Amino acid sequence: MSSVDLGSEREPGAGPRRGFLATLAGAAGALIGVMGALPAFIFLGHPLHAKKSSGRDEALPVATPDDLRVGKPLRVTVYGPLRDGWTRIDHARLGAAWLVLMADGRVRAFSAVCPHLGCGVDWNDKAGTFDCPCHNSGFAVDGRCLRGPSPRGLDELEVLASDKDIRIRYQRFKVASKAKEPIG
Amino acid sequence: MADHRAVTGKARGVARLSMWLDRRTGYSTLVKLIVDEPIPGGARWWYVFGAILTFLLGSQFLTGVLLSTAYAPSASTAWASTVFIQDTLPLGWFIRGLHSFGSSAMLVLAGIHLFQVLIFGAYKAPREITWLAGLAMLGLLLAFALTGYALPWDEKGYWAKQVETGIVGTIPLVGPLAQRLLQGGASYGNYTVTTFCAIHTALLPSLIVVLLVLHILLVRKHGVTPRWGIDEAALARRTETYWPHQASRDTTACGLVFVVLGLIVIKTHGADLEGPVDPSGSFLARPDWYALPLYQLRRYFEGSLELIGTLVIPGIGALVLAGLPWLDSAEGRDPRRRKTVMAGAMAGLLGLGVLSYLPLRHDRADPSFKKARAEAGDRARRARQLARDGVPPEGGMAVFRNDPRFHSRELWNEHCANCHSFTGEGGKEAPDLKGYNGRAWIEGFLRDPQGRLFMGTANLEKGMKPVLGTKEELHALTELVYAQTGAADADRSLVIAAESLFSQKDCDSCHDRDGTGQNTGPNLRGRGTLPYLVDVITDAGDARLFGKRNKMPSFANKLSPEEIGELAQFVLLESSSP
Repeated sequence: MSSVDLGSEREPGAGPRRGFLATLAGAAGALIGVMGALPAFIFLGHPLHAKKSSGRDEALPVATPDDLRVGKPLRVTVYGPLRDGWTRIDHARLGAAWLVLMADGRVRAFSAVCPHLGCGVDWNDKAGTFDCPCHNSGFAVDGRCLRGPSPRGLDELEVLASDKDIRIRYQRFKVASKAKEPIG
Repeated sequence: MADHRAVTGKARGVARLSMWLDRRTGYSTLVKLIVDEPIPGGARWWYVFGAILTFLLGSQFLTGVLLSTAYAPSASTAWASTVFIQDTLPLGWFIRGLHSFGSSAMLVLAGIHLFQVLIFGAYKAPREITWLAGLAMLGLLLAFALTGYALPWDEKGYWAKQVETGIVGTIPLVGPLAQRLLQGGASYGNYTVTTFCAIHTALLPSLIVVLLVLHILLVRKHGVTPRWGIDEAALARRTETYWPHQASRDTTACGLVFVVLGLIVIKTHGADLEGPVDPSGSFLARPDWYALPLYQLRRYFEGSLELIGTLVIPGIGALVLAGLPWLDSAEGRDPRRRKTVMAGAMAGLLGLGVLSYLPLRHDRADPSFKKARAEAGDRARRARQLARDGVPPEGGMAVFRNDPRFHSRELWNEHCANCHSFTGEGGKEAPDLKGYNGRAWIEGFLRDPQGRLFMGTANLEKGMKPVLGTKEELHALTELVYAQTGAADADRSLVIAAESLFSQKDCDSCHDRDGTGQNTGPNLRGRGTLPYLVDVITDAGDARLFGKRNKMPSFANKLSPEEIGELAQFVLLESSSP
C-alpha cells in the first residue's frame, strides 16, 4: 500500500471517465468469471468421461456345473475387481446374474438387472418366469420379455463353462432403452 | 441506469421482465443501494482490501464446494480421496491449490486490511462493532486454516493436529473436555475427520457469512473511513458513487489477486500432499506458516509454564486488539497523534516476523530436519504413485499393498517368519536365509550343517553331518552347489574338480543331483533356483526333497500357486539384498 498519494484528491468522474471505469469493472469481472468458471466445469466434468471401472473383461467364476438343475435358474453373486473412485477392491460384489441350465446342457446367464429401470429380477418358481418386483415386467426362462414395461428381454451375459467351473463376463447395460448397450 | 435510448425488441423484453420482477421483489432498490453507495472523498485504491477479502471468501466457497464433490471424510478415505483429487481428477490439483493458497492469501490480505484499519484509526467510535466483527472473522479465518490443514489426513496434517489438540488439552479446566470433543474421542479416528470436516465446511462458513453481512452492513451504515484530517465539507464535495468508481478499482484488484494466485498455483502445481498417516510412524511436524509464531513462542516456555506461550500471551494479544477502540484514548484518527498504537502495531508486526523467521532458520540449519523431510517426501511420492492403482478399502497406509514386494513381505511375515529369518542371526526353527545363494552361506552350511544359522534350529532327525576336508576341497564342493543356482560366475574348473569329491566325501549317499532321485537328503538339482524354491515351499516333504524327515509345513493347500511363486521370488530377492 503506497502512502505517497494519500493526499491526492480528484474531481468526481465525469461522463467519458465514468464509461471507461464501467467498462474496466465489467472486463475485470468477466475475466474473473471465466477464470473461475472454466476450471470448475472441467473439474466437475470428470464423471462424463471417466473410464469403465469394474469387472473389466475378465470372465469371473460364479458357480460349478454341479450347482445347476434344468428348470431351476440359479441366482449367483458376481465377485470381481472393482475400481471405485479412489478405492480399489480386489474382491467386490459387482452384481448378480441368473444361470439357466438348458435341456440341451448349455448354460446361459442373464443379468439380474431389469432392463426397464434397474431393479433386481426374481425367479418365480410357480409361474416359471423371471419377475421384476418393481414394475411387474415378466421374462421367460430364456430371457424373452413376456409382459410389463421392460423395453427388451433380460440381458444375456457371455458364459464360459468347463467341467470345473462356470465363468461369466459380467457387464452392466443401459436401462430403459430398446438396444442393449454396455455401460462404461 | 436511466439511459433511455432506442432499444431493440430483445432489450425491451429484458426490461419488461426486470420490471415484472421488481414489482414483486423490489430488487432494484437493493441494487441501487449497492451501486449508488456514496463514497465521501471519492473512490480510493486503499479501500479495495475488504472487497478482495470478500472475493477470496467467495472463491474459497466455490473451490470448497468443488472439492467436497470428491472428498470423503473418514480416517480411511480422506487421504485416498484427496490424492484422487490431486492426481486424478481433471484440474483437481488446480482447484485444491486455489483453495489452499487462497486461504493463505486471505490471511495475508486480512493482515493488510487490519493494518490499514490501524493506520486509519478506523476502529474508533462509532465503528467499534465493525472492528470486533472484523477481528472475529480473522479468528474464523485462522480456524478455517487450522481445520482445513487436517482434512487431507496426510502426515503433516495429522501430526500438526496432534500437537494442536494436545495444546487444547492443556487448557485448565475445560481443556481435556474440549480436546475430546474436538477430536471426537480419546484418540484420532473417523470421528476426528468428520468433526474437523463439519467444523470446516458447515459451522465456520455459516458463522463467517453472518459476520460478513454484519461487517458490510456496518461499513455501509458508517461509510468507509476516509483519510484523517479532511474536513466533512471537503469530503462531501468529492463524493463519488460506488459504481463505477470504486467498483472498477475493486474488480481490477480482485482480478489481479486472482491472476497472481492462479500463477502461484500453476508454478507450484498446487498444494503439498504428504504420504498417508502412519500412527506408528513419526513425522517432523511443523505448523503452516501462519502458526509459526505460536510454534516458536511455545519453545520459550517449558513444563508448567507452557501455557504462557500457548495461551496467555496470544490471549492477551487478542484481548488488546479487541479492546483497542477503548484503550486508544487519543483524539482523532491522525496516526501521528496515536504514537502508542502505531508503535504497538509495528512492534507486533516485527515480533510476528521474528517469531516466524526463527523456526525457519533453525530448521534450515538442522541436517536431521532436512533428512527427515527428504524421507517424508520419498514416502509421499511412492504412496501417491501407488495410489494411482486405487487405494484398498482400509485406506491410507494400505496403499503400500499395491507394491508387489509389500504383498510378498506380508505373505512372508504371515507364513514364513515364525521359523525363518533374513537377519543373519539365525531363524527360530529353520535356516536363516540371508545370503542363501551366496558362496559364504553354502560353505558355512557344508562346514556346520547343524549350526545356528542353518539346520540347527530345525533339529531334524539324523540331520546332515559336517563335511570334513581341506579348504580347497570345501571350496570346490561349495562351487558345485553354488553352480546349481545357475549363477553365471560359477567356476567351471572347480565344479569339475568337485565331481569326484562328491562321492569321495559320501555326499552322494544321501544327495542325488538329477532332479528325480529320491534319496534321504534333498536332490540338489537346481538348488536355489526359483522352481526349486517353489517346490520347497509347495511341499518340502516331497520324496525328492526332505522326505519323511521334513518338518517344514506344506503350503500347497494354504497358498495359491501364484502366492507361492511370489514368495519364492521374494526369498531370492530378499536373501541377496545386503
